[in-house]
This record gives sequence, C-alpha cells and structure tokens, in this order.
Amino acid sequence: MSKSAWKKMLTGVFAIAGFLAVGAFTAAAQEVQGGTLYGNMQTVTQDMLNRAAGDGNNFLHTNGNYEQTRYYPARQINVDNVKNLRPAWIFQTEIVESQETTPIVVNGIMYITTSFNHVYALNAKTGAQIWHYKHKMGPITTYCCGPNNRGVAAYGDKVYMGTLDAKLVALDAKTGKLVWEKQIADPELGYSETMAPSAVNGKILIGTNGGEYGIRGFVKAYDWATGDLLWTFNTIPENSVGVWAENDATGRNMKRDIAAEKAALKKLGDPYKTLGGGVWQNPAVDLERKRVYFVVGNPSPDLDGSIRPGDNLYTDSLVAVDLDTGKYVCHFQYIAHDVWDLDAVSPPILTQVRDANGNMVDGLLHGGKTGHVYIHNRDDCSLIRFSEAMVPQEDMWVLPTKDGQRMLPGANGGVEWSPMTVDENLGLAYAINLHQPMTYHVESSPYPEGKLWLGGAFKVIPTEEQWGNITAVDYNTGKIRWKVKTPQPMIGGIMATAGGLVFTGEGNGLFKAYDSATGNVLWSFQAGAGVNAPPASYTVDGKQYIVVGAGGNVQLNYKRGNNIIAFALPD
Amino acid sequence: MLAVVACAGWSAPVHAVENPVNPDESERPILPEEYASVSTELSGCFECHGVSGRPIEPAFPILSGQHFYYLYVQLKDFKAARRTSEIMQPMVDELSRDQMKLIAKYFSEQEWPGTGFKGDPALIAKGETATGAGQCVQCHRGAYDGDSRVPRLAGQTREYLFNTLSDFKHKARMNSPSKSSLMDSFDEADLEAMAEFLADL
Ligand code: HEC
Repeated sequence: MSKSAWKKMLTGVFAIAGFLAVGAFTAAAQEVQGGTLYGNMQTVTQDMLNRAAGDGNNFLHTNGNYEQTRYYPARQINVDNVKNLRPAWIFQTEIVESQETTPIVVNGIMYITTSFNHVYALNAKTGAQIWHYKHKMGPITTYCCGPNNRGVAAYGDKVYMGTLDAKLVALDAKTGKLVWEKQIADPELGYSETMAPSAVNGKILIGTNGGEYGIRGFVKAYDWATGDLLWTFNTIPENSVGVWAENDATGRNMKRDIAAEKAALKKLGDPYKTLGGGVWQNPAVDLERKRVYFVVGNPSPDLDGSIRPGDNLYTDSLVAVDLDTGKYVCHFQYIAHDVWDLDAVSPPILTQVRDANGNMVDGLLHGGKTGHVYIHNRDDCSLIRFSEAMVPQEDMWVLPTKDGQRMLPGANGGVEWSPMTVDENLGLAYAINLHQPMTYHVESSPYPEGKLWLGGAFKVIPTEEQWGNITAVDYNTGKIRWKVKTPQPMIGGIMATAGGLVFTGEGNGLFKAYDSATGNVLWSFQAGAGVNAPPASYTVDGKQYIVVGAGGNVQLNYKRGNNIIAFALPD
Repeated sequence: MLAVVACAGWSAPVHAVENPVNPDESERPILPEEYASVSTELSGCFECHGVSGRPIEPAFPILSGQHFYYLYVQLKDFKAARRTSEIMQPMVDELSRDQMKLIAKYFSEQEWPGTGFKGDPALIAKGETATGAGQCVQCHRGAYDGDSRVPRLAGQTREYLFNTLSDFKHKARMNSPSKSSLMDSFDEADLEAMAEFLADL
C-alpha cells in the first residue's frame, strides 16, 4: 500500500469521526502487523461495534453502525475519482436467486449470505473463498417475497444468521462450523427469518417475518455465547385496541367505521393472538439510552380489518424497548388499523434533528411505504415532522373493496424494506422508492391455520407505468432536495460515503454512484443481474472497496444472478 | 362442482388428448424399504397419479417432484374436508398423519415428469401478463417451481391448473382463501391463459 493512500484515508476518517478514528487506526495497524489475513482473524469486540461509525476499515453492522446511518467514513473513493471505479473481484455463490445480503467485513474477512441460507467467508481483498456453510433446511419454510437472507451479525468469535425455517444459527467465524442452533418460533405457524440479526452487549437481537400469516410478532434477545433466550418483546400487546385513531400520522382521515369495529370487538374479543406485526429489519441501538428502536409491520390479515377491530397496536409503528430487559418504552403508530399493507419496514436511523422549535435534539428517521420520511424525537418516539411525499399519492385512504380500488402508492411502497442512508454534513436522508400502481381487494375469511392470510388480494395494474426514484430529503425541514427517477421501481438499499457519494443499484443490473449533494450520476456499472442488495464499503491494505450483491429480486421479479462484486480504484 | 370437473376428466378425456400423458406399467416403481408400510396406499395413488409420475388423465395433478410440505398439507386438508374432492376424500380417509407424511415424502423425492405440453403463444403472453398482475412470483418464485408450502406450478398439467384456478375462483376449492380472492379478480379467460402459460413452462 502506498503511504499517501494511507494518509488520505486516515485523514478522511479523522475529519469525520474525530477521536473515534483512533479505534480504526489501531485495528488497521494490528492487521498489517498480523501479516496474513485469515491467520490472525480478530474477534469482534463491543468496542469495535460501538466505534463502527468512524471505522473506515471494517463494515461491522448491516446498516453500518448502531445508528444505522449507512454512512461510510472512508473517502478514498470520492466525487473526483469515482469515474475510475472498476471491479476488483467478483465472487459467484452457489445460489442463483434473489440477493439481499449486506456484506459484513471484519479485518479483511467478508461474510455474505445467499437465498436459502448459505454463508460464505471470503478474503475481502481477493474474493477468494475461505469457507462455505450451508444450512440444513427443515421441510417447512415460509416466506413471502423470496427465500432471501439479509446477512450475518458478527460478534466475538462467531457470526449469526436467521433461517427460513425460523432458526438462529451461530457459526465459528474462523471455520464456518455450527456452534449452536436455536428454534426461534414454529415455521408451521408461518414464522421465518430473513433479516440479519443485530449484536450488542452480549445479546443477539432478531425479529420475525410472518405478517402475511396469523402470527404474533416479536423481537427476541439471545445470549451470544449460549444461545439462551434472554427476553422477548411481543410486538402485539394483549390489549391491542389503542385509542381508535381516525387519522394517520400525516393527519389524513382513514375512513374507519369505528362503530362497526367496536361491535366486532364485543363479539370477537381482542385479536392479538393472530394479529401479525412482523419485524423485518434491524433495530437501531441507542447505547446511551440503552434502548433499541425498530419498526413493526402490518396487521394480519393485511386487507381485512373487519375481524381485527381496534388500532392493532403496535403494527405499523415505531417502537422503542429497553435493551437490557426488552420492556416497552414508547411507540408511535403511523397507520392505525391498516388495511393497505402500507406498513413500516425500512430500518430506523438515529441522528440529530432540528425539532419544531429549532433546537437540535436526538432524532430518529424512518422511510415509510407511504412515501414519507418520518422524523421523530427519540425521547418519547413522538413525531416532529414528516417529509413531502417522495412518490405520487392518490386516493389515500380509499377502502379496499371486493372488486378492487386503485390507490397510490401500491402496497410495496414508497420505501420497501430497503434501508435509507444519511449524510449528516448535508442534513440529508436518501431513500429509494417504488411507484407501482395497484388495486386493493378485500375478502374476509377466518384464519386458514398456518396458510397465507391476506384477507383479499393486491394486484398490479399491468397497463400503468411503473418506475422508481432516489430521493434526498432534508430531514430538518421535510423538503425534498433532489430526486432522480429510475426506469424501474427501486428495492435493495443505499449507502452514503464521506467521499460525497451515494451508491445504489437497480433491477436492470445498473449499479450507480450519485453526487450526494446534487444527485448527478457520476459512475455506473452493469452487473448483469438485478442489484437489489444494500451496498457496503471497507478498506484493506489502504485500498477502499465498495461491495454489493447482484442476484436480482423475487418480489419485483428482477433478473436473478449469483454475484458479489467488489469495486476499487485502479492502483 | 369440483367432483364433476374431475370426473369428466376421469371418464372421458376431452380435447386434452392432443397431449396425452401415458402411464407406463413397465415403469412401476420398486418402492424403497422405508415406504413398505404405505405400499398398498401408494399403489392406489399410482392408479390415477401415474406409476412413473405422469398422471393417467390430464385432469389429475402431477405429484412426483411436488414439494413435501405442500403435499402433506393437501392430504391433511382433504381428510379434514378443508379441501373437498369426491375423488380424493375417500383416498385419504383412513390415512394417519404419519402415513400422509411418508406418502408426501415419497412423491416429493421423485422426479418431476415432463408433459410435453406446448401452449399457444398468444395465450401464453396473455397468461404471463396476468400472473405478473397477480404478483404470483412473490411466492411461487421466478421459475414457478415453488418451495415447501408453495406448490410447483411450472409444467403441471394444463387441465388440472385450469380446474384448480377455477375452483379457487368459484370457491369450490376453499383451502387457501387468499388464492380465492386473487382468482376472483380474474375472468375465466385470464385463468385459461394463466394455465396455458404455466403448463408450458
Ligand atoms: C381416482 C383417481 C385418484 C386416485 C386413486 C388418487 N387421486 Fe389424488 N387426485 C385426484 C384428482 C382428480 C385430484 C384433483 C382434486 C381436485 O383438485 O379437486 C387429486 C389431487 C390430489 C392431490 C392434490 C395435488 C395438488 O397439486 O394440489 C394430492 C396431494 C393427491 N391427489 C394425492 C393422492 C394420494 C396420496 C393418493 C393415494 C393415496 C391419491 N391422490 C389417489 C385423483 C386421484
């Protein structure tokens, strides 16, 4: 590695992260001393995880850091030279299917996962395979939207993955051998795992899929070493009725028939046992407050509210719980009694925001399927403001009917599960969006025991144009700063870097770098299959890499592939 | 209504003869030891679903190579009358859960047979648009080969596909209400086209 490259990188890290960069420097220095890459693999300490936001060498969290900013502090690759970016290596997995993994990079070793729960450890510099773990899948799996997996969590000497048959597995990071395996919930009842776990203070946190089945959602914490269950937070409380809210978070009337719901409540009782409320994505961790913040998905059945009276707490909500105990702290519900599946999925981001009085406060951002970025106060989960709509909204909230009602956005969003990113220097949040006109159909049926339970149907309108966009939102005002339209609806994720760039991919195989201040396209690469995974970045031997999965997407039927592609500047 | 559809196929093959799926008695499988306890039952199944995986009538679904958990759930549902079929119900009445699992496992381990079906290109195109509108790939996957609880549709017999889509629509098949709601939003011609598209895969 050249001295100047080192210098450049470290300056970048220092400039952004101040004293935090010391941690990064130490890690890098140790790695160079260690000589071989995987002979000297270090364990992931809590300290490393805490300092991840300033660590320009590793990528230790699915969303970059506990705040989930997906802002990478290295700036070797930047607005001036990104045009020279080219593939450094391409790794092909055994599985040609939807790719949603976020690569995790620890001291030059990269961990990636694939559909159907394979895990690979790779040399992050060369792409050479170190080990390959293939989960022994049970016969019963449940998933809507593809046999996806969004990656591992790394902690201590282990990496962790949730599986389609609803297990949590702990692997030896050095060898890929199974250390322990826990059944999180019963897959026959509709539970499954696609999210990457989160690791903090000796706990492995994981939510659940299943909102399209009659599940009762949760977030669970397991002991990192033994796999013992430490706590469970049920996303659906036994009293799920709430306050009979008539308006959504933005003040629009939701046309609820509250009298009918009250009558149904008398007759049917509280529907909490089968009310859904999956948690699809990682929580943000507030280490100071010792809290985790996550968003909860739709109520079950998706479209039929008649048999689930009440606000259906805490579906379609931001929720905070105590990190040590899993006890409820606060929540904010975006849509009470949702009958459109316009729920909350994209992982929340912690950052400083300007409140209504102009004071900077500890804030939280969430990108909704409604097409709004919601800006909260972290103290009590309250809403400070919401952004302008990033996609067309029409006829919100028209109620679904038997023959179908058109409403925009369609049920995939807005912002789907795709994580957002922020650049705090610019005060901008970046979201990728879908525009996919649909009709909403309702038809009531009792829970068909462990089978898909939508309470109707969502249908794409084949004659209407679909597209996507990347939108930069000023979270201190809620105004859209820039917006770039894409030919297809966007799904996957986005990452900002200190190089003044944001990276995101498209269903048509294009992976692009944008100027984070203006939205100008500065670079693009054709990956040959849909780039629908969140990008990551890391540095080995003084060279910064951008890495992304190109495996297409099931949900939007984008071309499948099996590539993990790492990009770097020429020597 | 469902039984009528199935029986029509059983006794008098209609236009589907253009793509016959012939049983081949010489291929009657030798069952591995683990299936000894259900060998009589399996012989019964072969009578209609075919000895070599290819059903004797196009209105009878292909079971060989179908997913284990889907098959097991269907057998449970026939027995509990969550899915009604005058033909199938007596077949499963006496089966225990363990027998059902074993039978489902047997079929799931066999190879999926080809039917040689070649569809009409215009109908196929129409069918592809309709499955796109229904977002069918979200669960049945891009190749329509399903997984676990979601059945393989690709290369299933056109007649059975149409019958079962239509049974969902008209609520003759009741064991997946979300399918009924979805099929209800399509007209008969769309269902024909979808069956054509899927059978041709
Ligand atoms: C007399 C003919 C006949 C026999 C014998 C028979 N089946 Fe069937 N089977 C059918 C027909 C017809 C259907 C379609 C029923 C419907 O959808 O209404 C069917 C459907 C099924 C299905 C549902 C497949 C799907 O894709 O959903 C399963 C599973 C099945 N049969 C298993 C069996 C088993 C196991 C046996 C033996 C124990 C058996 N069948 C014996 C005619 C038969």
